[in-house]
Amino acid sequence: MSSNLLHLPDLGLGLGLRSKHFDHILEHEPAVDWFEVISENFMDAYGRPRYLLKQIVERYPVVMHGVSMSIGSTDPLDFDYLKSLKTLADEVKPAWVSDHLCWTGVLSINSHDLLPLPLNEESLAHVCERVRIVQDYLERPLVLENPSTYASFQHSTIPEWAFLKAMAEETNCGLLLDVNNVYVSAFNNDFDPVHYIEQLPHERIVQMHLAGHQHCGNYIIDTHDREVTNNVWQLFQLAWQKTEGVSTLLEWDGNIPPFDDYYAELMKAKDFMSSSFSKPQMQEEAPNDAAEVSNPVDFLMTNLMKEA
Amino acid sequence: MLLQPGYAAAKIGEGRSVSIEEVFKPSSRLPARQHLAIYQQGYTARLRDCLAKQFTALEYALSPDLFQAFADEYLRKYPSESYSLANLGDRFMTYLEESRPDRDELIKEDWPDFMIELARFEWLINHLFNADVEHEDPMATMTTPLERLSLVPGIRLLATKFPVRWFYQAVAKGEQPHLPEAQPSYCAILRRDYKLTFFDLHPEQYLLLQALADGQGVPQALRWLSEKYGYDAKGLAEIWPVWYAQWQRAGFFSGSGSVGTTDAEQV
Repeated sequence: MSSNLLHLPDLGLGLGLRSKHFDHILEHEPAVDWFEVISENFMDAYGRPRYLLKQIVERYPVVMHGVSMSIGSTDPLDFDYLKSLKTLADEVKPAWVSDHLCWTGVLSINSHDLLPLPLNEESLAHVCERVRIVQDYLERPLVLENPSTYASFQHSTIPEWAFLKAMAEETNCGLLLDVNNVYVSAFNNDFDPVHYIEQLPHERIVQMHLAGHQHCGNYIIDTHDREVTNNVWQLFQLAWQKTEGVSTLLEWDGNIPPFDDYYAELMKAKDFMSSSFSKPQMQEEAPNDAAEVSNPVDFLMTNLMKEA
Repeated sequence: MLLQPGYAAAKIGEGRSVSIEEVFKPSSRLPARQHLAIYQQGYTARLRDCLAKQFTALEYALSPDLFQAFADEYLRKYPSESYSLANLGDRFMTYLEESRPDRDELIKEDWPDFMIELARFEWLINHLFNADVEHEDPMATMTTPLERLSLVPGIRLLATKFPVRWFYQAVAKGEQPHLPEAQPSYCAILRRDYKLTFFDLHPEQYLLLQALADGQGVPQALRWLSEKYGYDAKGLAEIWPVWYAQWQRAGFFSGSGSVGTTDAEQV
């Protein structure tokens, strides 16, 4: 079944594929509907992870999610990157390929972070042009995710939800709604997350993300290292109602739990998919002062001491 | 770094210094510069964690604090230019060479040599782990003719001043090894069926395998070893079947090609 304009399938409830779970998944074939893989983990890599990925794609639907396309950068698009991405997509045959509305570097330097864009007519035209080029090259629609942001620009003139709406309508790309990112960005940048979700073009949302975050008092970090908070579950319930249900995936990148705990957290989504809708009531979260890194990437690295 | 050229230039005008407050909005909870600081702090911490995973034994050898100092300076001096984090440490060995405290001294200390060799060793196995080296050639058997023996693509040969293979594996086992004294060491690293295995070698074994990797056939390599290094030719001829039996079982050789399709690398 599909309710989105791109006619991409509703894959059900999925999990981000993490290397520590490879053996468990292949041995037990858990009843997860689908997996999302980080594209860069497997591009240009011909070791054990890619070998195991081949086995997983034979058993589960897979989506490719990238962190390095840098669709918003003023650097030229990296066609070496796109070529490698396309090669992997030809092998994996993902249901779709996604990345983030962000830039990751400039002047040939890669920050390996998901950096926010000034949101205005100039940047909208810039991003739309690049989305069209990427879609033409990949010969498939691109799906772009709202990033978690820790800053906003004086030169932004368009709310992020409106930017995403215009971008999707102009390029016919899909949207990946990261509900946790909406909550994180809303807290950090003083906007209403409920209004944000209500204003999105729901018919263009093909996937949702869920994840945990860390409240640091005056700001929130998107850590992906713990359970989803109640506030985010409420926003998910709103988004589920508005989209009439789309493929939903739980991410967990730090302090990654045993597979069964990871799966149990995903299954909590069912409570919010089936319960009667009520307007989200955001509650104050207890802060934790421990320093954390935004957008962790060390989970992308293979610890060879455990592999060799 | 957050402010991309183009946007800023168009809005603010080139040639004028730009304050953080002109670029970033404050929020109800934080001033603009603290919003920017979240990204600034995260940049180094995030990539330092990645380097530590690529150079785990080096981090132990240097101590986490000193490794962090080297890593932070490396990331400042050589920021990533690749979309892949797998390449993050590409220039770390160059940086360590440039940063050795005795760089301008005539008499060098030993420990920087060890650290640099260890870094190269870890970088080599990182590369080998991800390399496109699996092959479908038939493996050599005990009866494969010598002229059909070929080192498999997944083998790397190393000669080091320090026993870095021993040190690396001691750290991997959770032991707490002391920094070793200099001791010439030789090993082969084999990736087979997506797993890495380490083999200690005698110097003459290393030289022989390197000659094979360089393209010599077995008889020529044995003769070269004898003529160049003075090894007893008869003894080499007698020991070859013993060595070959070990290496054949380990999977060093395929049996369908000419010798010498793999580059030897020297740390």
